[in-house]
Amino acid sequence: MITTVVGNYPKIPDPPAPGRWRTGVEKVQRGEWTRAELRRVEDEVTAEILAEQAEAGIDLVTDGQIRWEDGQTYFARALEGFAIGGLQRYFDTNVYYRQPVVRGEVAWRGPITVEDYRFAVAHSPRPVKPVVTGPFTLAVLSRNEYYRTFDDLVVALAAALNQELRALAAAGAALIQVDEPGLLLRRDQFPVFRRAMDVLWNGVAARRALYTYFGHVDGLYPALLDLPIDILGLDFVAGVRNWEVLRRARFTKELGLGILDARNTRMESPEEVAAAVRLAAELVPADSLYVSPSAGLEFLPRRVARRKLEVLVAGVRRAKEGVA
Amino acid sequence: MTLLPTTTVGSFPKPPYLLEARRKVARKQMEPGELQELERRATEEWIRRQEEIGLDILVDGEMYRGDMVAFFADQMEGFEIAGLVRSYGNRYYPKPAVVGPVGRKKPVTVEWFTFAQRLTSRPVKGMLTGPYTIAEWSFNEYYPTRRELVLELARAVHEEAVDLERAGARYIQIDEPAIHTRPDEDFELAREAMEIVTRGLSAYTITHVCYGDVPRIYPAMLSLPVNQIDLALKNDDFALLEVFRTPRFTKDIGAGVIDAHSHRVETPEEVADGIRRTLAVIPAAQVYVSPDCGLKTRTLEETVGKLTAMVEGTRIVRRELGS
Repeated sequence: MITTVVGNYPKIPDPPAPGRWRTGVEKVQRGEWTRAELRRVEDEVTAEILAEQAEAGIDLVTDGQIRWEDGQTYFARALEGFAIGGLQRYFDTNVYYRQPVVRGEVAWRGPITVEDYRFAVAHSPRPVKPVVTGPFTLAVLSRNEYYRTFDDLVVALAAALNQELRALAAAGAALIQVDEPGLLLRRDQFPVFRRAMDVLWNGVAARRALYTYFGHVDGLYPALLDLPIDILGLDFVAGVRNWEVLRRARFTKELGLGILDARNTRMESPEEVAAAVRLAAELVPADSLYVSPSAGLEFLPRRVARRKLEVLVAGVRRAKEGVA
Repeated sequence: MTLLPTTTVGSFPKPPYLLEARRKVARKQMEPGELQELERRATEEWIRRQEEIGLDILVDGEMYRGDMVAFFADQMEGFEIAGLVRSYGNRYYPKPAVVGPVGRKKPVTVEWFTFAQRLTSRPVKGMLTGPYTIAEWSFNEYYPTRRELVLELARAVHEEAVDLERAGARYIQIDEPAIHTRPDEDFELAREAMEIVTRGLSAYTITHVCYGDVPRIYPAMLSLPVNQIDLALKNDDFALLEVFRTPRFTKDIGAGVIDAHSHRVETPEEVADGIRRTLAVIPAAQVYVSPDCGLKTRTLEETVGKLTAMVEGTRIVRRELGS
C-alpha cells in the first residue's frame, strides 16, 4: 500500500511568509526579471515542496507542478499548433485558465516535462512520478478551430503526447501518470478515448497510471478496465458513487484511491481514511492500492494541503496496522 | 438616461499610497482609522476621475475591498478566512470557509455607498456579490448541501440590497461570476437565489457574469429576475453575440467592450466597432457599455486609458445613431 498525491500543490506559502513565485511572475510581467530568474525561484520552490511531501511521509511524490500555470497551457504552449485564447473556468472550480486554441496541425516539438522530471528526481528524497495532461482532456478544454472533428484532434494529440511519454520513460521514469478528468465531461465519447489511449501508451516502457477526478466513472466502468494501463486513479469524494460502481465488476488493475477531499478545508480524521482504505481492500488487494487526495491540492491553502497529507499518512498507517 | 449609457463593473486599481497603507495595517504599523481616511481619499479621486472621463453611471471603485467574496465574508456571521488560494495566473484570493450558520450582522456596503453618492450628482451603483458566487468561492465546512448555504446567503444579500435602496441606490448590481459553474445541476438554484435577492426591489438591477461557458446557460439566463445582464464580450472577440441571435436577448445587456485582463489600451474606434457589432444583434435601447470585468488588476494609467477610449468610442456610435 503506497501513499501518493495526484499532482499539483500550492505554489505559495501561507502569509506572512513571502510568496516568491507570485512576486517572481509579476517581475517577469513587468520586464524586471528574465525567465531564467523566475526559473531559479521555481527550482527553489519545487525543492521545498518535494521535501515537504517527504516530511509528511508520502511515498510517491510529484514535483507539485510549480512551473505549470495550469495543466492545459503548460502543454499547449510547448506543442505545435496552439494559440492561447480567452479566460475559461477550469471545471467547477474557482480557477480560470487561458483556453488553448487549436489553429494548426498538432505536433510534438521536443520534451516538455523531461527537464522538470530530471530536476525533481535530483532533488527529491522520495521516488517521483511525472504527470502529463491527457490528450482527451486537452482537447475538451481547448477550442478546436483546425481539425474537422473532435476525434481527429484527440488522436493527433495522443500521437504527439506519446512522444512525451516515451521521452519520460527514456529519462528513467518508472511510472508515468496521465490525467484525464475531461473524460467525465464527455462520457459518451469513450470510443475515441479508448483509441487515444492505445496511441498514447504505445511503446511506453513504464508503469502506466491513468487518473480521473472531479466525478464518478458510472457509465465508463468496467470498460475502463480494457485500457492499456496498470493503475486507474479515481476520485471517491466528488465521485462518491465510485464505491458502488466498482462493485459491478472485479477490479483488475491497481487502484488509485483518491480519498481525502482536495477541494474542501474540512479536515478528515485518520480514522476516516483508515476506514476508506479497509473498504477499498475488499475490492482490491491492499498491496495494489495507491492512496491519495481526491485531486491535486492546489485548491487548498498551503497549510491545509500539508495537514491533509499528514492525515493521509496517519490514516494509511492505521489501516496497515489493522490489515497486518 | 442617454442612449448607450457607459458604466464599469466595479473595481478600480488602488493607488500606490493605499497599497502601502494596506501593507502597513497588515503588519500592524498603521491604525485602521488612518487607512480608512486614505480609502476615502482614493474613493473621491476615482469619483472625480469617472466624472472627468465622462462615465454615466459611477461606482465607488472598491478601494476598501480586498476581494469581492472575502469582503462580505469578513463582515458576516459564519465565515472565517481559510487562506490564500489561486484563482488565475499569479492571482490569489483569501478564500473564506463557512464554519457556522451564515447571516448579516449589520449593513456591509451602505456606508461606503452613501459616502460615494454624496460626492457626485451622477448615480452611483450599489455593489453586491451574489449568493451563489459567495457560496461557490468559499469552502463549505458547515452546511450539508450547497442549496441550504446558497439560499441562506440569498436572504442576507437581499437584506443588504433593501438597505442600499433605502439609502438611495437607484442601481444595484449583484455580481454572479460563478453562476454558470455547474450549469445543469445548479442554474435553477442560482435563479431561485437571485429571485430572493431582488424580490420587491424598485431599483434597476444588474447582474455581472463573466468568462466561463455562458452559452450553456443561454437562454435560461434570460429568466434571471434582473433588468440587466452584464457580460464579457471582448474577451472572446464578441463570439458570444452569435449565441444571442436566437432566441433574442430580451434583457438589457451590459456589453463588455474592453478587455479587463490585457495591458493593451483599446482605441476609441476599436470600442466603437465592438458596440456596432453588439447593436447588430441587440437593439440600442437595451445596450449599456462597460468593460469585461473589474479593472483592479490594471494600472492606473491603463484604467484611465481604457475608460477614456470606451467613452470616446461610445460617443462615436451615439453620433452615428444621431443622438
